[in-house]
Amino acid sequence: MFEYEFMQRAFWAGALLGIIAPILGVYLMLRRQALMADTLSHVSLAGVALGSLLGMNPVITGIAAAVLGGILVDGLRRAYRSYSEMSVAIIMTSGLALAIVLMSLRPHLSKSFSSYLFGSIVAVNDAGLWLIGGVTAAGLIYLFVLRRPLYNMTFDEETAQISGLKVKGLSFSFAVLTGMTVAAAMPIVGVLLVSSLMVLPASLALRVARGFAMALLIAVIAGWLGIFSGLTISYYVNVPPGGTISLMLLALLLSAMLVQKLRRRRSRSRRQILLMGQGSRTPDFREGV
Amino acid sequence: MILSSMRNVVFGYGETPVLSGISVDIHQGEFVGITGPNGAAKTTLLKLLLGLLKPWSGSVHIHTETLKGERLSIGYVPQNVAAFNSGFPSRVLELVRSGCYSRLGLFKRFTAEQHRIVEQSLKQVGMWEYRHRKVGELSGGQKQRICIARALAGQPNVLVLDEPTAGMDQQGRMGFYQLMRHYAASHGMTVIMVTHELHESGQYLDRIISLEQRESEGWQCLSTSSCSVRFGPEPCLE
Repeated sequence: MFEYEFMQRAFWAGALLGIIAPILGVYLMLRRQALMADTLSHVSLAGVALGSLLGMNPVITGIAAAVLGGILVDGLRRAYRSYSEMSVAIIMTSGLALAIVLMSLRPHLSKSFSSYLFGSIVAVNDAGLWLIGGVTAAGLIYLFVLRRPLYNMTFDEETAQISGLKVKGLSFSFAVLTGMTVAAAMPIVGVLLVSSLMVLPASLALRVARGFAMALLIAVIAGWLGIFSGLTISYYVNVPPGGTISLMLLALLLSAMLVQKLRRRRSRSRRQILLMGQGSRTPDFREGV
Repeated sequence: MILSSMRNVVFGYGETPVLSGISVDIHQGEFVGITGPNGAAKTTLLKLLLGLLKPWSGSVHIHTETLKGERLSIGYVPQNVAAFNSGFPSRVLELVRSGCYSRLGLFKRFTAEQHRIVEQSLKQVGMWEYRHRKVGELSGGQKQRICIARALAGQPNVLVLDEPTAGMDQQGRMGFYQLMRHYAASHGMTVIMVTHELHESGQYLDRIISLEQRESEGWQCLSTSSCSVRFGPEPCLE
């Protein structure tokens, strides 16, 4: 399969997105913004539609729309502090509504949008690959340099703000990075499933990791496993890559949950056997201070 | 030195004022307790003192520098912070070390002194033995303790605590009040604490700010009273 250039590009794009998207996913999940990627992909679709309608580069307008959407979600989240998920619902429905209306204005364009909706391996050209590479590099530098403030903001925004952190600016820049990543990932995974690249590996990582750095590492490994296996199956079975990758990531998550459950059950039964072996002796119980 | 002063502050949510005519000063190095019944806007008063909320009218002035000319650092332990982050993927030691990040900035490495302070903070709240445990595996009271240790590890000039003893047993609460008394007396740290347990904490406080209700005007009348202060050896919650 690697004799084809488009497959090489797809794997490169997958490898790069497999680093940045799951890491962002961990932060988004912990900040209770799991639907952020979904929202931004819908807004980005409206940008793509607008770009096509105006004869501009749809990739650029898609990125611009996603970044703008990220900023809007972040701003609305502060306005509706008690119901922060409302901001996601407002922007998601607005983005999708705008995309539908814009697409209907040029019916012949609607066909080409199916690749945006479901993703396509051949959609990744050289320019797209460079874009994904640029976004990944910029994102990794951002996440490395600001790892300490991001950790504190993710743990608790209010505490971080009082300790002197410029939370508003940090949250704003994080929304911009998320928007850029979503827009870059859209051609390969598709609008409908772009969030799976962020949410599913992060969900797996948060279940099993015992430290923050470990959570990021596990999310990246899970992301790579899902993307590479999904792309391979997509090539041989001729099915859309977005759906295949998402299903592989879901299978990984379910497997991890199953293994975790079995391990818990095993350690519980081992503990019971130990207690039975001690006979009537009351076990030592140390209260948690 | 006055760290934070409020003059005739009025604040409310929606159309209704919840605090009105509030005037209060917080001095450096004092251990202050804010008390009042449920719904008396104690947390709101804290947030106004910290500059997190803007008053409808009146003024709030916060000194942003210490006597030495350094930027004032504030540690904050909000109400039930531990409960909101039960799934946070961190070990206890990692989380408490993050309290030092505001002092370290982006790239400075941890010094031996900072490692010592982190260890001391954890020992003082009786959580050193749990340093390798995952945060989510701890009980509510234990999570509250590591949030306090995290704030202490940042070596703040001002420590603001919103009902910090929720989930602690009586022995733990008494140890905690002694610890805060020690920080205020020996380290010159200003400690502001919202509390319901005046019968327990009163003997350790320098001053009590009580919020009382006035008919149809919201919570106001800050009766402040001085307390007798008990000094003792360096305490810990263990």
